[in-house]
Amino acid sequence: MLFNDYAFLLVFLPAALVIYRLADSHPRSRIGVLVGLSFVFYGYWNPPFVVLLILSITVNWFAARAFLATKRAGFITGAIVGNLAVLAVFKYANFISDNLASLFERPFWHFNLALPLGISFFTFHHIMYLVDLRRGKAPDYSLGRYALYISFFPQAIAGPLARWSEVMHQFGRQVYTPGWQRPFAVGVTFIVIGLIEKTWLGDPLGRVLDPIYAQAIQGPVTGGNSWLALGFGFQVLFDFAGYSDIAIGVGLLFGVQLPYNFNAPMQSTSLQDFWQRWHMTLMSFLRDYVFLPLSNVKIGRKHHRLVQHFSAMVITMALCGLWHGPSWTFVGWGTLHGCALVVVSLWRHHGPRLPSLLGWAMTAAFVLLTCVIFRAGSIQAAMNIYRGLAELPDLERIIRAAPIIVSALCAFLLPASQDIVTRFTERPRNGIAAALGLVAIAILVELGDRDAYEFVYFQF
Amino acid sequence: MSSSTSSSENRAWGHWLATFVAMAALGAGVIFALVIVVDPYDSGRFGSLGIKGINDESPRTANASRGRDPQFNAAIFGNSTGQLLKPAELSQATGARFVQLTMPGTGPREQFAVLRWFVRHHVHADALVIVTDPAWCTDDPAMPILNPFPFWLYSDSDIEYVGYLFSSRALGRMKRRLQLAAGLGRPSAPDGYWDYELLAHGDFRPAPPPDEPDGTATGADSQFPAIERLAGFVTSVPNAPVVLVMPPIIASDLPRPGTRGAARLAACKGAMARIVAGRPYSNFLDFRVDDPLTRDPKNFLDRMHYRAQVARRMEQRIAESLRLGNAGPTSF
Repeated sequence: MLFNDYAFLLVFLPAALVIYRLADSHPRSRIGVLVGLSFVFYGYWNPPFVVLLILSITVNWFAARAFLATKRAGFITGAIVGNLAVLAVFKYANFISDNLASLFERPFWHFNLALPLGISFFTFHHIMYLVDLRRGKAPDYSLGRYALYISFFPQAIAGPLARWSEVMHQFGRQVYTPGWQRPFAVGVTFIVIGLIEKTWLGDPLGRVLDPIYAQAIQGPVTGGNSWLALGFGFQVLFDFAGYSDIAIGVGLLFGVQLPYNFNAPMQSTSLQDFWQRWHMTLMSFLRDYVFLPLSNVKIGRKHHRLVQHFSAMVITMALCGLWHGPSWTFVGWGTLHGCALVVVSLWRHHGPRLPSLLGWAMTAAFVLLTCVIFRAGSIQAAMNIYRGLAELPDLERIIRAAPIIVSALCAFLLPASQDIVTRFTERPRNGIAAALGLVAIAILVELGDRDAYEFVYFQF
Repeated sequence: MSSSTSSSENRAWGHWLATFVAMAALGAGVIFALVIVVDPYDSGRFGSLGIKGINDESPRTANASRGRDPQFNAAIFGNSTGQLLKPAELSQATGARFVQLTMPGTGPREQFAVLRWFVRHHVHADALVIVTDPAWCTDDPAMPILNPFPFWLYSDSDIEYVGYLFSSRALGRMKRRLQLAAGLGRPSAPDGYWDYELLAHGDFRPAPPPDEPDGTATGADSQFPAIERLAGFVTSVPNAPVVLVMPPIIASDLPRPGTRGAARLAACKGAMARIVAGRPYSNFLDFRVDDPLTRDPKNFLDRMHYRAQVARRMEQRIAESLRLGNAGPTSF
């Protein structure tokens, strides 16, 4: 079930609100009801994977209990290795096998496994809790509360990656207390703004860009279309930021404030700034659980520390790329960003200070250009796009690019969505509520086109 | 903050939420009422404004209107390989009133939906010309579709239909029908004909056909679930003359004699011919043959889309079949 499905917006969400409203006055049932709703949400896509989710929750919770009872770190290490192994089997087994096959020039295993939805996210949620438990920072939680942390449906599929410390204390709180209306209004505003981002600013770009990237797989990209292909950076921004905002809004309807995930990243004036504003919860996870341990572990002599620090930066970003998908293009994309972060870091310490406008232009150009690698699917296809940049688009193509231009202007000029929500809800204004109600209906109408019947001539 | 201020603020936020819900409900209600009254696809359901005609370039949705139009009593079904058959030519040659209901990029499942729709609205059909290209020879009982298709538009269930009216596509069609009612915009051709040659660029140069494994040269084990369903459908309309047409392709692309492909195609053609064998004013026309017409690339736009001169010859043979039945021609 996706947040922009009728099944979610018109059936599951209203039903979940009614059910939770009934459970709200029974403190003991609140967490259980939310866990049940989360399993229904997760199982809608592929019911058997609910078993995997339940197993994952149970095994990790027992590992945590065993650690607390014995203080043996092996339980935590074993659980983390187990989580990563499950992730590797489902997400990376065929990638590893294909690479081994290329290396040894003989076939290896091949699994026809469906990737469980959100497996990367719930794996990271487990790791965050288990690592902090071993560090003595996290307390013991009941199985129900832990199950909700892992499966809470607004965040289970695609984040935001919430720390246990950000959400655990919010689970099971009474929602319908005096004053519930304002958080509800904020939640509704987040949902509508998220739907605008996804439906009006993200999806239209796909309709322009998909044929161009399909062309790049086949061969050279001509006619200046490569310039349009750079718009993928805006598509992925509004697609994911929209999803995150809907998640935050839905979370608020159930009394849980999830962390923000994007902070107008296309307005960053340096690459470091960009990575502090783009997919912030993932970057925070990678900083605390990958980069800092790699950077701080004592390897070699003291004067090698800088090399170790920068190596950790590149490795972290390469892993960030790999996390996005089992492909060398993702690894390449991440590595490029890692290397660029090293350059930016060195420049900041040793180079002259750049004007903000120049910093912004260079950052935006780098992000948009490297997004091509992220989307192209192969280095060859990405190179076809890059070579096509030698040709400028004509006027007709620029007109076709109108959705890209609109999205770009929104990304470069508008404040972060959470700031817009704050302005909209700083006091109760019924005009805004009415406008949001009409926008919500307009988006539902747009989402009503569940399939495309328009026929492009010669697609016989 | 005093408790009275707090309570008034809570009330204000309550009004905010009520306004949001009320406006959304009002907007939804207005949109829904409009699409119900206008009948955006002219499907004959609910519409009470009596707007005539449609302005719809997509045959997949436009055929809901054409397929129930009482000015026609005969129809051509199929995909793009039947598109160039002119209803006006067939009408003149046969005396029936033909409409084009072919839909590019469709297969048997979609075409069944439109066939049933036409028959439901024309109890006494004068002729059904079904262009059965090899997609009908599938051995897959699921008959998978290549492109999305609005089965709900041709459904028996009004509830299913209503469930799809809340969409920007329906609103777009609604706007165009309102424009037609106001005398703005041009209605689509009522008989559904359009000439794909208008969009053709350059001459067709056939590529060498792919190598085909010889396999076993028998089609006896062939199953044709789509043709079995077609046989059932034809039986259900006992009085309608039916002409099944296997459309031509460039001869160089025909399966080589003795191959499994050739055997399967022959078995498929045999199954089609049996459906109309002995049926009055009905026939099976096999244009997928090696013939001087199909050997000449000038007669084709691409490997499977023939040009007007071929279409005119096919129309003559269809008209003769409707007059002579099985005693009529079998090919070009």
